[in-house]
Amino acid sequence: MIIFIFKRLAWMVLTLWVVFTVSFFLMRSVPGGPFDGERDLPPEIEANLLRRYHLDEPLWKQYGRELWNVTRFDLGFPFTLGEVSVNQMVRQGFPISAALGLMALTFAILVGLTAGILAAVTRGAWTDSALMAVATIGITLPNFVVAGILILLFAFTFPLFPAAGWGTIGHLALPAFCLGAPYAAEVARITRTSMLDVLSQDHIRTAEAKGLPKWRVITRHALPTALLPVVSFLGPAAAGILTGSIVIESVFAVPGIGSHFVKAAEVRDYTVAMGLVLLYTVILYTFNFIVDLAYAVLDPRVEWK
Amino acid sequence: MSSRLNFSILAVVLTLTGVAWAVYHGRLPPADFTFNNATEIKSLDPALVTGVPEGRIIEGIYEGLVQLHPQTRQPQPGAAERWEISDDKLTYTFHIRKNAVWTNSDPVTAHDFVYSLRRFIDPRTASQYAYQAWYAKNAKRYTLGSAGIKPGDPVEVELNLEPGEVETKRGKLLHGTLVEIIEREGMDPKKYQPGDRVLVVEIDGKQHKFTSSDKRGDLPKDLELCRQVLLDFREVGIRAVDDHTLVTELAYPTPFWLQLMGFYPLFPVNQKCIEEHGAPYWTYPENIVTNGAYDVVLRRVRDRVRLAKSDTYWDRDNVKLNTIDALAVEQQTTGYNLYELGEVDWIVDPPPVVLREKLKSGESLDDLNPSRQFGTYYYLLNTTRPPLNDPRVRRALVLALDRAEITRVATGAGEQPARSLVPPGLPQYQSQMHPEENIEEARRLFAEAGYPEGRGFPRLEILYNTHEQHQTVAELVRKQWQRALGITVVTRNQEWPTVLDAQNQLKFDVSRRSWIGDYLDPYTFLDMFVTGGENNNTGWSNAKYDQLITDAKVEPDEQNRLAMLAEAERILMEELPIVPIYYYVSRNMVKPHIRGFYNNLQDIHPLRAIWIDREGETPSDYAPGGGE
Repeated sequence: MIIFIFKRLAWMVLTLWVVFTVSFFLMRSVPGGPFDGERDLPPEIEANLLRRYHLDEPLWKQYGRELWNVTRFDLGFPFTLGEVSVNQMVRQGFPISAALGLMALTFAILVGLTAGILAAVTRGAWTDSALMAVATIGITLPNFVVAGILILLFAFTFPLFPAAGWGTIGHLALPAFCLGAPYAAEVARITRTSMLDVLSQDHIRTAEAKGLPKWRVITRHALPTALLPVVSFLGPAAAGILTGSIVIESVFAVPGIGSHFVKAAEVRDYTVAMGLVLLYTVILYTFNFIVDLAYAVLDPRVEWK
Repeated sequence: MSSRLNFSILAVVLTLTGVAWAVYHGRLPPADFTFNNATEIKSLDPALVTGVPEGRIIEGIYEGLVQLHPQTRQPQPGAAERWEISDDKLTYTFHIRKNAVWTNSDPVTAHDFVYSLRRFIDPRTASQYAYQAWYAKNAKRYTLGSAGIKPGDPVEVELNLEPGEVETKRGKLLHGTLVEIIEREGMDPKKYQPGDRVLVVEIDGKQHKFTSSDKRGDLPKDLELCRQVLLDFREVGIRAVDDHTLVTELAYPTPFWLQLMGFYPLFPVNQKCIEEHGAPYWTYPENIVTNGAYDVVLRRVRDRVRLAKSDTYWDRDNVKLNTIDALAVEQQTTGYNLYELGEVDWIVDPPPVVLREKLKSGESLDDLNPSRQFGTYYYLLNTTRPPLNDPRVRRALVLALDRAEITRVATGAGEQPARSLVPPGLPQYQSQMHPEENIEEARRLFAEAGYPEGRGFPRLEILYNTHEQHQTVAELVRKQWQRALGITVVTRNQEWPTVLDAQNQLKFDVSRRSWIGDYLDPYTFLDMFVTGGENNNTGWSNAKYDQLITDAKVEPDEQNRLAMLAEAERILMEELPIVPIYYYVSRNMVKPHIRGFYNNLQDIHPLRAIWIDREGETPSDYAPGGGE
């Protein structure tokens, strides 16, 4: 197991290094410096300012300096010369995005599991078709469309939740729902399929033959096995929710890291973009890692490799 | 089984704790007044910003020598309780009020203003707005650094800092006389190296050779290192006579100098704060020291800036709101939703479709009252590229436009078609219009220039920065030019920095630009188009125009000065290096219970004047039925 963890870590470090290197050279190959568009400066003063930002040094030296900074978790200042450092942006934005993502994920799992189990158990009945129809719609509708509908419904027609912003748990409701909906649908479909699969197996038949109540058969004997495909879906789902939050955060004006990412791409702020890509990489790796661990806990057949 | 159960419980508990923690740390009681500032501000350093959104907040937290009246925009006492202007209109003596205090309880003194204005024009600050202070004697030469001095001038040498000193401090100063500037043969200003430019300065009878560098490297031994050599600041017309008296001496009479003193880039900053914390940390809410009506208490990136009433501000009894939130919501629709739901009291930029719908009925509304603004939307023509170097071609392009269609289709708030650069509305000045649109005349001019029915005319490209409205305008112009003149026109959109770059390097045919006057005088528009002007960006040059602008600058008689400016604008509208398209109107939506919010030409609405009357006991200052 220790070897497994180390291997994972090594891959993560390698990926981070590649991401850093690519971003670094992309950043420097773009024509124009941070002082372009400002007034014409006397040459010695421009040189002076460039020196302050170490932009006069040879490229390899700048690369070394920045790599060293990044390894110390210092992501620098936005390239567009904002005054708030990337670290601060992350410190402020990450908890917000994380709260949003976790809410969305919790919602996706709870709703998805319930719907999936219900559909599987009542296979062929109207509940099954209705739930699966809703799930299909949930997967196909882009989340910004869902967002628009939800705002109209729950902010204007029935003023239950705020339309945008951040500050209370209510502010999280609509964006978390939009973000989680497609994944809830996906989880429902996966649960249904694997549940049906498990329900047709021998040990279930045995349990039923012994006269156990139906709900007990489902929760005790079928569900744990049926959960495994759902757990392995959580890795990609977490990734999707992370990237999905970029759109949702803009629509709902949630000041998480997703909104910084969009803006950074828009104004080509490479420092911010690089910092956030590095952060995303770490998060995704961590999530996949947790999923693998969870898998091992849930399924005794899995061995550490 | 139990390990599985434990695992699930752990996961759920961790998740809920995480969400609860984030929500707990993000919660904020609502502010008294919330407006959507529509974007994240770049900085709270008045010297470093040029944007309107930054201005809204900086105006609230700092106070200049004068305040501009929220409605008339006329100067009234601010940090200075009174001032005198000399008969030749060149010397302004400001008396700083004794009860003006910084948020750290130190008094605001004349020295603070000298410090701030010097820092503002210091070339190292690289303030884009520095030219607004160049009306003061020798200020421009100071900003130009070594390019602004010549042998014989008194100079100040700023030495490098000691290791470990905060970057925002000034180095030790030596005063002397410039003997000569030695430049290395074939020096490339783009690749300046220490030692390329050596300034020989005589200090106390001894000659020193200085070069701007902080590392010795392999520089010759006889060179001394310094940060920069500038004109001696004592030559610049900004000085403190005593703690409470500030004198500015101008190079030429500048009728809008007082107005500029109420313009945010010239606001004072706190030296102690800047030098203790360094840049950019001094602007952080926990460090910043200000002298205005409000204090910054929280800044959450891309969310909001929260201001709270300052308890040290001299006029605090007349500041009504205790807390103000400036949101940074960029999506117009999201901002509008917040406004409609009552979470925001003022939005600056409602979606055009909403404006159109609301204004269609023609009824007067109690929360929307678009009014004339001191700004013009226009296209630059690159006069260095044939055939745009031919004035007949430029004139034809201008005459062939149907601006009424543009303002009807592309804009939504009742913008008026423009036929001049300076927007109308100034009481003292009559904008000079170019002739009415005339497609026949445009075709005749085209034929005269050698392109009958557009034959042989090269393809024109309209370059604009990515924005829905700019796109609509560009498409309309393209269609109109093609239809009227039979030429091929294409449009191209780019990010704003790229467009700006193309404009600076004259790498375009036609490009979008707009200008909002910084102060209420035609000069703020007309001085752009002098030969080589920083915002000229058309390559256009006219000796008579240049002369008129230069003369107007020094003309002491107000009537003559305005006549000169009008003559200059007439030339501009004859030569047409630009295509005026429409004049801006303000498009604020303001909740009916807000008071102290007035329409004005500059579309600036100081936060300190705003108050709330929920019971509606007083008439609105904004709605058409109320204030005017």
